[in-house]
Amino acid sequence: MKLGNRRYLRALTATALAGVSMLTIVGSSGASARSHASASPVKIGISLSLSGDFSADGQAFQQGYQLWAADINRAGGLLGHPVVLDIKSDASSPTQVVTNYQALISNDHVALTFGPFSSLLSLPAAKAVSRYGYALVEGAGGAPSVFQAGLKNVFDVSLPVADDLMPFAKWVTSLPASQRPKTVAFVTSNDPFTEPQVTTIEPLLRKAGMKVVYNKVFPAEVTDYTSIADAVAAAKPQAVVLGSVDVPTVSAFMQAFEQSGFSPKAFIATGGPDQGATFLKAVGGVKNASGMMVPNAWYGGSANPLSKTMVAEYVKKYGGTASQVSSDVAEAYSVGEVMAQAVKATGGFNNKKIMAYLHSGATLQSVQGPVRFNGLGENVVPTAFTFQWQGAKFVQVNPAGDPNSVKVLYPKPAWGKG
Amino acid sequence: MNAIALLSAAKDGVLTGSVYALMATGLTLVFGVMDIINIAQGILVILGAYLSYALQVHWHIDLFVGLLITTPTMFIVGVVIERAFIGRLKGPEKTAMSILVTYAVSLLIEGALNMIFSVNDVQLQASYVSKSFAIGQVHFGFIYVAGFILAAVLLGSLYVMLYRTRFGMSVRASLADQASAALVGIDVRRVSTITFGIGVAVTAAGGMIYGATNSFNASSSYDLISRLLTIIVLGGMGSLGGAMLAGIAMVFIGDVVGVVWSPVWSTMAYFVVLVLVLLWRPQGLFGRASARVA
Amino acid sequence: MLRARNLWWLVVLAAFGVFPLVVTNPTYTTIAVFTVIYMACASSWNMFSGYSGYIALGSAAFYGTGAYTMALLSIHLHMAPGAAMFWLVPLGGLVAMVFAVPIGWIALRVRRHTFVVITIAIFFIFQLSAINFGFTGGTSGLNLPFITWGYQYYNVPFYYVGLGLVIVATTLSALVRRSRFGMQLLAIRDDEDRALGLGVRTHAVKVTGFTLSAFAVGSAGALYAMFVGQIYPQFVYDPMFDVSIALMTFLGGLGTLSGPLLGALLLEASQQYLTIQFSNGSLYLILFGALFLIVIMFMPQGIVVALRDRVTRRAERERAAVSANEAPLVHDVPRDVAVGGAG
Repeated sequence: MKLGNRRYLRALTATALAGVSMLTIVGSSGASARSHASASPVKIGISLSLSGDFSADGQAFQQGYQLWAADINRAGGLLGHPVVLDIKSDASSPTQVVTNYQALISNDHVALTFGPFSSLLSLPAAKAVSRYGYALVEGAGGAPSVFQAGLKNVFDVSLPVADDLMPFAKWVTSLPASQRPKTVAFVTSNDPFTEPQVTTIEPLLRKAGMKVVYNKVFPAEVTDYTSIADAVAAAKPQAVVLGSVDVPTVSAFMQAFEQSGFSPKAFIATGGPDQGATFLKAVGGVKNASGMMVPNAWYGGSANPLSKTMVAEYVKKYGGTASQVSSDVAEAYSVGEVMAQAVKATGGFNNKKIMAYLHSGATLQSVQGPVRFNGLGENVVPTAFTFQWQGAKFVQVNPAGDPNSVKVLYPKPAWGKG
Repeated sequence: MNAIALLSAAKDGVLTGSVYALMATGLTLVFGVMDIINIAQGILVILGAYLSYALQVHWHIDLFVGLLITTPTMFIVGVVIERAFIGRLKGPEKTAMSILVTYAVSLLIEGALNMIFSVNDVQLQASYVSKSFAIGQVHFGFIYVAGFILAAVLLGSLYVMLYRTRFGMSVRASLADQASAALVGIDVRRVSTITFGIGVAVTAAGGMIYGATNSFNASSSYDLISRLLTIIVLGGMGSLGGAMLAGIAMVFIGDVVGVVWSPVWSTMAYFVVLVLVLLWRPQGLFGRASARVA
Repeated sequence: MLRARNLWWLVVLAAFGVFPLVVTNPTYTTIAVFTVIYMACASSWNMFSGYSGYIALGSAAFYGTGAYTMALLSIHLHMAPGAAMFWLVPLGGLVAMVFAVPIGWIALRVRRHTFVVITIAIFFIFQLSAINFGFTGGTSGLNLPFITWGYQYYNVPFYYVGLGLVIVATTLSALVRRSRFGMQLLAIRDDEDRALGLGVRTHAVKVTGFTLSAFAVGSAGALYAMFVGQIYPQFVYDPMFDVSIALMTFLGGLGTLSGPLLGALLLEASQQYLTIQFSNGSLYLILFGALFLIVIMFMPQGIVVALRDRVTRRAERERAAVSANEAPLVHDVPRDVAVGGAG
């Protein structure tokens, strides 16, 4: 009997614990339902990576979204409803993203959803919200794989990434033969964001007679880039195209190049130099940053009047200078602007109407410039630019014909001399 | 691929590898004496790096001078962790439990570091960080060479301490057999606490060099600890010389494969070598032949 | 006595069975799907690592392999998105088992501490292969046929298939432990050299246990891939996966039948739920770490064993108070209890 009794109690305890944990979960649904009682504000649901791998970008996105919400509320809200952002952290995990968007829609009853950071999380998020008939307007899910999924509810307000490096390719191949770099190195992280950009321009540069002296892919999870950078330096390319997603990668390559006594005439990195103050801090200031190029659709010095207002507000709120505003902020801000125009045009918060409107081919305005979606949700109108650090200023240098472009600082100043 | 690139890769392997060796030595020493696997070593390296960072940013203390403060601090951190948690573990599952306890400790520290320093990556800056000198066509970064010298000096003093002092003798006795060490009057408890403190103290120097050569935040610790664990297993758990050799081997193999073949296969090559070595010598390169069961 | 225990298992099962009927909110059924996936994995992991004492930290290799099996087959067979894809779930488990045989054969030639690291190394080899080979889609991952079921019901079939995996894994675990084969695994845990001396073919036994445990993990990976609809190498071959299921098992009680289930239920459900509630990731890490530390320091044998000991001790004290001449008290030998008890 003793043994049986013990087992009985053990099972009882297990059941009780299971029951309690379920009850806590179920009980809380009542709590969030109550908080929903006030109907007037309109809630917008967002999952962001506030910790984990994408946390730096996630936090910049949060700033962009918050800046937009503050602005729209100052202007009277969306159709008169004040905007409330409901942001949940996903710890950079797709599992949590799926749960978060369901919780945002079915528990918090958000009216609209905005996208998370990175293509990796945008796709699972878009699939989850599409079952609810919600549109997912996002600013950082421009990898080809997002559009290949053929979803009808995903809209990326930013530039599709594959063509990002085209202006740079046009510029470098247009240089007179005597000045044009004779050798080039392609070194890219194996990431859905960087590889397509680099592979797009590689044949163009080859065709222009530039010799490819180094062409290798490195794993995204690498932390020690010294040996890779040393190998690039040993090949002595006059131009370096680096497929990077973040600041640490670029700063590691720059530091290793400097230590190897190697400074290319042209150096472009797909991501990192556009991160404003974070970039400058990591690379040891403008003396090293000067001459570094990066492709993007937006920069802090953009002449777009919408952008000027946003940048001024950003600087007022968070400090720094226009050159130091991360492009993540503008991407997130544009998401809000596009959604606001769709809501206004459709006269309500009906996601079905919003999606139909966004698919209609209407041209919308954002801090990143005009936005028009094709059937896959790609933004088809934006122009890719190339930006460059010139001294303490971050300026637009390509495309060459654009009135806001200034002359490229070429060749790049030696390290520490910028 | 050319000879210069290959030479550079070899140089990087030795210089960077020695810093990993230093960090791994702390881990393997603790395991050898106490049968404790300290999963928190990764986050402690990051803590060491952040301490250097804080000293530099707030008090403008030079990175190397700062080590005079951070090393004793990390020693105390180690002693506190040992007294508070590790020392309380007993019984046959002690090693397994130590993995869980130190993992929990590392979560606590990670959360605290995220709160204090934010998750934005930082890197330690100093005028000499990006300077280098050249021998022939191979360039040597000052910070890497300094890291190598620092690692060599610390490993050397560790060696002297273990083999030339009375305390070292007690440590070695405990390494060989805890029960017998206790029988001959060695205070194993005290030896354990101090050993753990020393094992953690090396993260101050390791973290400083790591922080000056990599951008980091608290979550960099996951990558670090998985590297450190494989290093001490490859070298043979509890073997100081093994940890040194394996640390250098890890970076060396990866770098050379990256140059000769492609960087995407660097990590894979190292893991394949690790598996092959362990199949040939299950106790690791310098492990004791009778590997512990349990 | 046996019946009373079975009855309780049935009650728990019934509670899980009706859960999605009672709780229809898709947020909680989503958490429930991830929870049953982890329960199946933890139970299965425990069946090998808990019984044999060989802590494997490379099970994510099986989870990812199951996920890629589901993704590659559903894409290349041009399967219509829908319930038919569920047939690929057990297939994912079988493919994982096929991989487990050579891995186990190689990795289990070494002893425990080394085994841990070898499994980590093999896991990384799998992850890096998925990243670097072309047919896996590389870092862009794979996009599965998109299932368009409405949100009200979408989670429910996944939940029941996941619950089915939990039942399979737990039944297998219970059967193994009662069998001669299970006794051999336990003997290896207690003293491998003696087991070998007594004629147990330790290597074959370990490889068999390792392979069996891959089934539910591989199936769970396939189910995950189908549920989320998009896989990336770093998320299905995730080093934290193994840390999680090991923690769940240790928290609940290593080597017990109900421990891993309870640990997974508590950890996965609370983790997902707390993350929704607290948007501050750092605070969450601190709370989680502290809670975890408390549990380990005060319940080193896991919740199931700790509760059982407490209940037993109290019952014994009461009995002792009633009559001084009771049968000899059962002394706490947690390790043996953990092995012999049904949990």
